[in-house]
Amino acid sequence: MFREHAASMQSPPSREAEQLIVRLLKRTMPFQVISESMLQSVAGVSRPFSYRAGEVIYRAGDKADDVYVVVSGAVEHLLSETPTTVERNRVMHSGDVYGWAAVLGQDKRVRLATATCVETAEVIRINGAALIERLNEDPATAKVVMSRFATMITREFGAPAAAAQIAAPDPSRPDAPAAAPRPQGQATGLALTMFRMSRWLRSPKPLLMLLGFALFLGFWYLSVEVWKLPRFREMPGLTVVFKEWFSKNPTYGLSFYTPEYYEHIWVSVRRVGIAFFLATALGVPLGLFLGWSRTFREYVFPVFEMLRPIPVLAWVPLAILMFSGSETPVIFLTFLASFFATALNTMLGVESIDESYTRAADCLGASKMQVFRHVIVPGAMPYIFTGLQISVGVAWFSLVAAEMVSGQFGLGYVINTSYTMVRYPTIVIGMITLGAVGYVTSAMVRVVGDYMMQWRVRELALGGR
Amino acid sequence: MSTARRFFFHRSTLRALISILVFVALWEVGARSKQWFGFAVPWVGNIPAPTAVLHVWIGLLGDPGYWQSWYLSLLRVLAGFLTAMVIGIPLGLLMAVSRNFNDTFFPTFEMLRPIPPLAWVPASIIFWPTQELSITFVTFLGAFFTVVINVLGGAKSIDVRYFQSAQAMGASKWDTFRRIVLPATVPSIVVGSAVGMGITWNVVVAAEMISGGGGQAGGSGGGLGYFIWNSYVGGAYEQIVVGMISIGIAGYICSELLRMLGGYLTPWLRTR
Repeated sequence: MFREHAASMQSPPSREAEQLIVRLLKRTMPFQVISESMLQSVAGVSRPFSYRAGEVIYRAGDKADDVYVVVSGAVEHLLSETPTTVERNRVMHSGDVYGWAAVLGQDKRVRLATATCVETAEVIRINGAALIERLNEDPATAKVVMSRFATMITREFGAPAAAAQIAAPDPSRPDAPAAAPRPQGQATGLALTMFRMSRWLRSPKPLLMLLGFALFLGFWYLSVEVWKLPRFREMPGLTVVFKEWFSKNPTYGLSFYTPEYYEHIWVSVRRVGIAFFLATALGVPLGLFLGWSRTFREYVFPVFEMLRPIPVLAWVPLAILMFSGSETPVIFLTFLASFFATALNTMLGVESIDESYTRAADCLGASKMQVFRHVIVPGAMPYIFTGLQISVGVAWFSLVAAEMVSGQFGLGYVINTSYTMVRYPTIVIGMITLGAVGYVTSAMVRVVGDYMMQWRVRELALGGR
Repeated sequence: MSTARRFFFHRSTLRALISILVFVALWEVGARSKQWFGFAVPWVGNIPAPTAVLHVWIGLLGDPGYWQSWYLSLLRVLAGFLTAMVIGIPLGLLMAVSRNFNDTFFPTFEMLRPIPPLAWVPASIIFWPTQELSITFVTFLGAFFTVVINVLGGAKSIDVRYFQSAQAMGASKWDTFRRIVLPATVPSIVVGSAVGMGITWNVVVAAEMISGGGGQAGGSGGGLGYFIWNSYVGGAYEQIVVGMISIGIAGYICSELLRMLGGYLTPWLRTR
């Protein structure tokens, strides 16, 4: 702060004044939990100031060097994050901390807000760089203080973007905790993910998860290969499966290094992809019409409901009879399961739309087409995506069955032939691969759904407030 | 009487009848196209006509082997389904109640869940000593994951204020479980079991086709899935459709019974 103030600067704090500052800091959000000695050290770099009512303490865009703590009086803090966003203001009283731009990352130390004294105020100013310097003497404390700064900025000033730029404890110090690389600029989804990840890593969850995996794999290993329990000893063992899977020269001809492995995966994924695409392309419009037009529903839905209870797998022989070749029946069966799930969920989605939306649109003179385009379709979206997620799941479910009964290539086929050819480890490789590929495809649908559903997530978040 | 008349002459009932009749008529014409017009309609032309199916079905009604298939499939579905309920509901509740238990076992559970139940068929045949047990095991798996996920989801969605007020009033852990967790999860248990029942029928049919259809089980003792597969192998195409319809009916009855039971268990959710 190089601008001249009419503020009266007092002499550096005496021992007594230092005690007062320590007590004040003890009441502030960022310094509440740190040790007495560290507070002493911080008090050493702070200087008391006083301002008169109406005086501007700093303006947005100024260089930020000090952090301010209000001792008495009131200071208004007017935050304008970007020129376009709404301005937020907040009046601060004794014990409140502002001017936190001084502890943001090195190149971010520019005032984001304008602080004006509204009632004669006593404040103390702490030099940001010196504060970080002092704090870094004890990295653990530094971390606590910085994260409390971040929390405060988010919660009290409503500026999470700034909170994400809070200066990390100096990583060059030998025992400083490793600072996560912080993305520059706005707090992105990535930063949030990183934050959640680090919080997850600090909880006991990962350890318990590893314990669960260890128990499961350990039981598999011990029961099959060490204790050789009856029944279990016939199963392929853990080490056998993994040796086979990672072998460059697998005994049964299928591992990470053989091209056949990827060929099987590709064939299965392709089948699911085609079936899923067809089911979506036909199921979503059908579901929309079923939900939209009462007449259409009354004519079509009974047949739909008559066919739906028949398990998809019961269609296998009929599918083989109806379609020639071995590829079409498999795709047809996979399609069938997805189709029912998609169409039904889409219909439910249309039915879930509040009737007042359609009425409002009608009142405003919307044509049938406009109602369909602007009310029905977006209103049913959340259900459609739920349907698509179910649809991917059942697609894999029926694909496996179809491939096992009548397939050539594909993961279901691998599992079944490995059984008949007594290649037991390959069965397990097929199962694990199937689980992994199935998981990835459902995750993809979910991510796309979440991305397209952002408006709904926001709506829910606002509703929850 | 008047209610019955209103039902039968209601517009939607009439339309439903019309639509089903049109569907069956199209099927009949399509299936008999070769016989009547000399050219086969694609796809539908290869499957048996509904009248032929009906004819075969009437003949089968007196056949004990057909009813034996019903009985066997039903038995497997019930065995797998009940086992899934007996193991799945307590497991789901335990995961819902104990955070540590949940953190330990849920990831493993989630790791196994994406593997389709039918992929377990060969492993299950290797592991279990009898065909019957292996089919039941796969059936169990089909319902198990759904039931657990639903119980857990139901427990997770309980409003935290219920727990807070119960604790504020000095409820013990058992009270909280008995008075809050249990009643709150009943609806999702009902939903989960209804979904599970659907999957169970799917799995039973496929498991019977894959294992029985592989040729280990002989005769007519293989359940409805095997009945279908056997009819296919034996070239009795009408029987395939009979089997499909039978499974549809059986599955529908099971779900309907379950829905009634669910309505009885959750009287507070009844709309009327």
